[in-house]
Amino acid sequence: MKRKTHVLTSLLAFSMLLTTLTACGPKSNEGGGANAAKAGNGEAKDTITALLPPVSGEFQNNFAQMEKDFNALYPNLTLKIEPASWEDMTQKLDTQVNAGSPPDIAFIGSDGISKYVQQGMLMDITETATPEMIADFDPAPLEYMKKGEGLYGFPAYMEVHALGGNKEYLEAAGIDWKNVQKNGWTYEEFREAIKKGVVKEGNTTKRYGFVFATAGVTAKDYLNILIKNAGMPAAFDKDLKYAYTSKNFLEVLKAIRQLIDDGSMPKELSSVDAGKRWNMFLTGQTMITGKGLATFENSAKKNNEKLKANDGSAVQGSIPVEYIVLPVPTFLGEEPISSTVVDGYVTFRGKKEPTAEHKANVVKAAYFLASGKVAATTNNDLFAAHITKSGREAAKSMTVDRNPDNVAAVETMLSHANPARPDIPVDLGAKAIKIEDAVIIPKLQALLANEITPEEMYEAVKAEAIGTFGQDGIVND
Amino acid sequence: MAHLAKAQNPPKIGKKRKWKGDGAWAYAFIAVALVVYAMFTAYPVVSAFIISFQEYRPLGSVFIGFDNYVNTFKDSLFWKSITNTVVYTALTVPVSLFLSFAVAIMILPFKKGLQTTFKAVYYLPAVASGVALSVVWLWIFDPMTTGILNQLLSVFGIANQNWLGSSATAMFSLVLMAWLSSHGTSIIIYLAALLGIDTSYYEAADLDGASFFQKLWYIVIPCLKPTTLFLLVTGVIGSFQVFQNAYLMTGGGPDNATTMVGLLIFDNAFKYFEFGKAAAQSLILTVIIAGISLIQFKFLGNDVEY
Repeated sequence: MKRKTHVLTSLLAFSMLLTTLTACGPKSNEGGGANAAKAGNGEAKDTITALLPPVSGEFQNNFAQMEKDFNALYPNLTLKIEPASWEDMTQKLDTQVNAGSPPDIAFIGSDGISKYVQQGMLMDITETATPEMIADFDPAPLEYMKKGEGLYGFPAYMEVHALGGNKEYLEAAGIDWKNVQKNGWTYEEFREAIKKGVVKEGNTTKRYGFVFATAGVTAKDYLNILIKNAGMPAAFDKDLKYAYTSKNFLEVLKAIRQLIDDGSMPKELSSVDAGKRWNMFLTGQTMITGKGLATFENSAKKNNEKLKANDGSAVQGSIPVEYIVLPVPTFLGEEPISSTVVDGYVTFRGKKEPTAEHKANVVKAAYFLASGKVAATTNNDLFAAHITKSGREAAKSMTVDRNPDNVAAVETMLSHANPARPDIPVDLGAKAIKIEDAVIIPKLQALLANEITPEEMYEAVKAEAIGTFGQDGIVND
Repeated sequence: MAHLAKAQNPPKIGKKRKWKGDGAWAYAFIAVALVVYAMFTAYPVVSAFIISFQEYRPLGSVFIGFDNYVNTFKDSLFWKSITNTVVYTALTVPVSLFLSFAVAIMILPFKKGLQTTFKAVYYLPAVASGVALSVVWLWIFDPMTTGILNQLLSVFGIANQNWLGSSATAMFSLVLMAWLSSHGTSIIIYLAALLGIDTSYYEAADLDGASFFQKLWYIVIPCLKPTTLFLLVTGVIGSFQVFQNAYLMTGGGPDNATTMVGLLIFDNAFKYFEFGKAAAQSLILTVIIAGISLIQFKFLGNDVEY
C-alpha cells in the first residue's frame, strides 16, 4: 500500500514537472518555417502565424472567417491567428521576439519597425513581394514600412492625427469650422478661437476650449503633432541633423504653456489621459479635443444613438455631439504637415533563416490581411481611408455613414501627410527615441505641470542632443 | 543517558541504505522541487549574471565586459531612481509596520469570529488585482475638481491638486496609496505573534498594576521583536522591488519624480531592449538589498530569539 502511494505520488509529481517543462519547449515555428516546403515544392503545406490586436471593433470577431478565406485561397497554407489585446500586444510580441521565436506576422505601428530591424528580427520582403502586390498599395503609406533599402511588411491604413470639435460649441464660439477644414488655421487664430470656447461660472471653468490627452507617454503625441506644423516633420532634417534644437521647437514649447496659462486648457492637463479627455468631450467639458482620429466620429455617433435610445451604457453625463474633424494649427508661417500614423502587418523571422518558400507564404498572408476584402472591412469599421486599389474596389459594395465634410477634411490633411523617412539610419533613429523617452517626455510633463519653463526644457533637450550627436550633428539656427 | 548518547552519536547511514526504501523516495520527491528551483530560479539568476556582461541580441549576444555596470554607475537616472526608491521605502515601510501593529492590537481583544472578519477585511486588498486597485486609486486622484480627494479638499477650501501630474505631490500620492492598502499580511502575522505571547506575562503585569502602555512597551514589543524584524526585512525588500504602483499610476513621471529602480529596470529591458543593462541593474539592486538586510540583522537581530 505504502509503495503504491509512493509510486502514485511520484508519478503525479513528475507529470506536473513534465507539464511545466513542455511549456518551455521550442515553438513549432521557431525555425522560421520548419514545417514549410521541405521538398522545395511551393505547394507544400505550411502554417503562418499572426499576432493581431483588436484593430477595429469587429476585427477579432472575423478571425475565423479570415483563416477560412485564406485557406480557400491557398489550400496548402494555414493561417493561424493569435489574438492579443492592445494592452499586452507590445509586451507579448517583445517577449516572443527576444526569445527568438516571434510570430510570422504582427500588427504594429510603423514607428516600431526600427527597433526590431536593429535586433535583426524582421524579415525583409523586398525581393519576395510581387510587383502586383506592391502596385496595389498607395506609395506614401508603403514607404512607412521601409527602413533603409528593406521592406518589412504591408501597411493596413494611414490615419491623420487631427483634432476633433463639437459642432454646436464651435458655431456658438463663432468659429467658421468649414473654412478651417478647407484652409487650416494658424496658431494665433487657433489660440483666439479656443479662448472663445471657454465657459466659466464664477472662478470655475465649466468648459475648456481645448483638451488634449497628455498623461504619461501620450504627451509625446501632443508635441509631435504640433512640431510637424512648425517646420520639423521628423527628428532629423534632410542633412540628418537633429531637428529639435531649432528655435522653432522653443516657440512651440512656449505655445504649449501659453494655451494653459490663457485658461483655454486645464492646468491639470498633464494628468489628463485619453479616456478622460474623450469623456470630457462627450460630456461637454471641452469644445475641441485631441488627438482626433477619424474613427472618433463613429464613437460619438454610437454614443448619440445610445442617448437617443435611453441606453444605460451611454457615457454617463454625456450629451449628443456632432464630431467635426479639424486640422492642427500651423506655427511661424510654416507649411502644414499632417502627422500620420501608419500601422500594418510586419513580417518577422525566427532564429533560423526562413526558407524561401516560407518567406513567400508569409508575404501571401500579410498581403491577404492588408488588402482586398479584409482591408476594406477593417478600414470602413475604423472610418480610415483605403490605401489599396483592391481595398477600394472591395469597399464599393459596403456603405459607411460618414459626415462628408469630415471625409473631405481628412483627404485635405492626407494631401500634405508627413512623408516617411526611410533614409534615417536605424542607429540615429534609436538615439532620437532615447532622447524622446529620457528627456523630452519627462521634461514635457514638467512643463505641462508648470514646474519648468519652455526655455529650461529647450536647453535640456539641446544639451542632451549635443551630448548624443555632437555640436555638428544638430540644427543650429 | 543512553538515549542522550544515541542522539549525540547518531548511527552512520550506509551509502546503500540511503538509496533504498524511504531514502530513495525522499530523493525522488526532492528531485522534482530541485529541478523546478534550478530551472525557474537558479538558471534565470545565472543567466542574468551572464547577460549583464553582454549586449543582448536574440540572434547572438556580444560580450562587452563591465560596460553595462560602468554605464549604470554613470547614469544619473539610475541614481535618481535609487533615491526615489529609498525615499519611498523610508516613508512607507515604518508607517505600514506601525499601522499593521496598531490594527492587530485593536483586533486582538475581539472574539474569534469578529477577529476573522477583520482579518478578512484587511486581507481583501491583497487578494484583489493590483491593476483593479490602481484604477480605483486613479479615480481617487483625479486631478479635476470632480476627483474624490479633490472634492474632500474643497470642503476645507483647498484648491484641486494635480496629484499624479505634479512632482510635488506624485511621490506622496504613491506613498499614501501604500499607507492605506495592503496591510493584510502584516496584520495576520502580527496577530498570530500576539496570540503566541504567553498570557502569564500579562497576568503577572496585572498583579504588579501595569498600565496598557506599560504592558505594550515591556511585554508586547519585546516579544514581537522577531516578527517585527521579519516584517521589516521583507517590507524593505518588497519596497525596493516596487514596480506596479509607479508603472500603473504615474509611469515614473512627472520628470522621473516617481521612477523607482524596478521600473527603470523594466523600461531598460522591455522598452529599450537593453537586457544587459537591465540585468546589471538587477544584480546591483540585489547587492543593495542584501546589504541593507545584513545591516538590519546586525543592528536589530542581536537579541532576537528564533
